[in-house]
Amino acid sequence: MKRVLGESWAVPSLDSHNRDFFTKGVLTLQRCTQCKHVQHPPEDVCEACQGFELDGFASAGVGRIESVAVVTQSVHPLLADRVPYAIVLVSVEDAPGILVAGNVVGSDADAVRIGDRVRVVFEDATDPRSGEKLAIPQWEVIDA
Amino acid sequence: MHGAAAIAGIGESTYYRRGESPYTEFQLACIAIRRAVEDAGLELADVDGFVSYLDQRNNPVRLARALGLKELRWTGIPWAGGGNSMAAAVQVADAAVAAGYARHVVVFRALAQGQFGRFGQAGGSGGGGGGYMGGPFAWNGTYGILTPAHQCALHAARFMHDHSISQEALCEIALACYANAQRNSRALRFGKPLTREEYHASRWIVKPFHLYDCCPENDGAAAAVVTTKERARDLRHRPAAIVAAASGIGPPYGVFDGATLGSAHYRQVAKHLWEHAGCGPDDVDVAQFYENFTGTVLIAMCEMGFSSPDGIEEFVSGGRLVGPDAALPFNTSGGNIGEAYIHGFEMINESVRQVRGESTCQVKSVERALVVAGPGYCPGSAVLLGAPQ
Ligand SMILES: [Zn+2]
Repeated sequence: MKRVLGESWAVPSLDSHNRDFFTKGVLTLQRCTQCKHVQHPPEDVCEACQGFELDGFASAGVGRIESVAVVTQSVHPLLADRVPYAIVLVSVEDAPGILVAGNVVGSDADAVRIGDRVRVVFEDATDPRSGEKLAIPQWEVIDA
Repeated sequence: MHGAAAIAGIGESTYYRRGESPYTEFQLACIAIRRAVEDAGLELADVDGFVSYLDQRNNPVRLARALGLKELRWTGIPWAGGGNSMAAAVQVADAAVAAGYARHVVVFRALAQGQFGRFGQAGGSGGGGGGYMGGPFAWNGTYGILTPAHQCALHAARFMHDHSISQEALCEIALACYANAQRNSRALRFGKPLTREEYHASRWIVKPFHLYDCCPENDGAAAAVVTTKERARDLRHRPAAIVAAASGIGPPYGVFDGATLGSAHYRQVAKHLWEHAGCGPDDVDVAQFYENFTGTVLIAMCEMGFSSPDGIEEFVSGGRLVGPDAALPFNTSGGNIGEAYIHGFEMINESVRQVRGESTCQVKSVERALVVAGPGYCPGSAVLLGAPQ
């Protein structure tokens, strides 16, 4: 899938915390191996048990829009022809308590509502430095 | 011990539209500090401490050298965020003076965005095209969530949704700031009144924020001298006692999670402020609320205990915030939106004027003047000033 904000928009700078999230093609969230607490964004330490052993949890990627705002004025030249675009915070059914940020694919920005059910989709991108393939999580409304 | 210190002097530079200051940021800081010290009836050499906030670029040692301090023995900057730490900076000075670590601490904020670039613009760095979003920016910047307006819009949208709050409630905040600025010749919006029609006709920045829901970006500096209550009594003006100050958060600590979405992060601040002060919102004669954005002010008002979320639209409507005789006199100098965006520090100075009886929108017999720092970021902070005891 093409990128919502355009092929030349910034990509995440991959690091040990975000590599799985932005490359796996499955919504991968950080989970504590000891107490199974899921947290986002990832941290060096489990916020529930203070353990250091953390791995990835493959979420089914189904959730609900908890908030939506519509960016109407571009704040970067590369986004000038991308406004209006919706920015959303999504709660994930199988990882309660956390919110994942994103955009919405396949809906008019102004039609997106708090409470809409969504599923994760992935946009294709390439890290311009390393050539590594990215799969950036985005959201699609499944029943409004 | 809280209640031991007071603000004895205030000063500010002329306020400028963004990029229009003829002075460097460091010069602006020096102007505001010098005027605050003069206002107190002190000499620059008397100053022995500096406190600021928000990654302040004007290093206290550089200031001490340029301003000819006899000695510098206290410096401090509260951690994290931006305008949310504005009142925490006063708290840091209050603590230093109360403990006897310094005698005359200047708290200040200076900014020259012409010299150093804007806060309201953002993008990736390095790489090609839009570049890379690294570290914490990866999670939001990748999705075009780039500015404080974007983040605060997500909080405001959820708050408005949960409590059936209309666009008119946001409009009321902007109208009150503009109306009060019409009394204040220091204000950048002085002589430029705003109507409800103009508000609604203005362009959207990020829904639910129109242009007038967002504070402008300005150049300028403001400063205040904190000293002991006893020392302040001997100086030039009626002191503004630091009755109580609070900063903090948590738990929950999440900026963006299920538990804190739609919050301004002020519940903890409210609890401690009112506990320390031994009073509550009903005892406040005049309040300044840092408006980064109108929507987040509504949330902060609720969390500070002035209204229930379901009652906030009525609380701010019908001119209830406008002028010195308002139900809650609010942002009486015009605030960030109407006076100037000096990261809220202009509100500290305005509260001192209210306690002295020198505001251009003077409330009758002010005993308690509240300043609430930036909402939507954490840790938040607030300070309650009062008439000298
Ligand atoms: Zn754990």
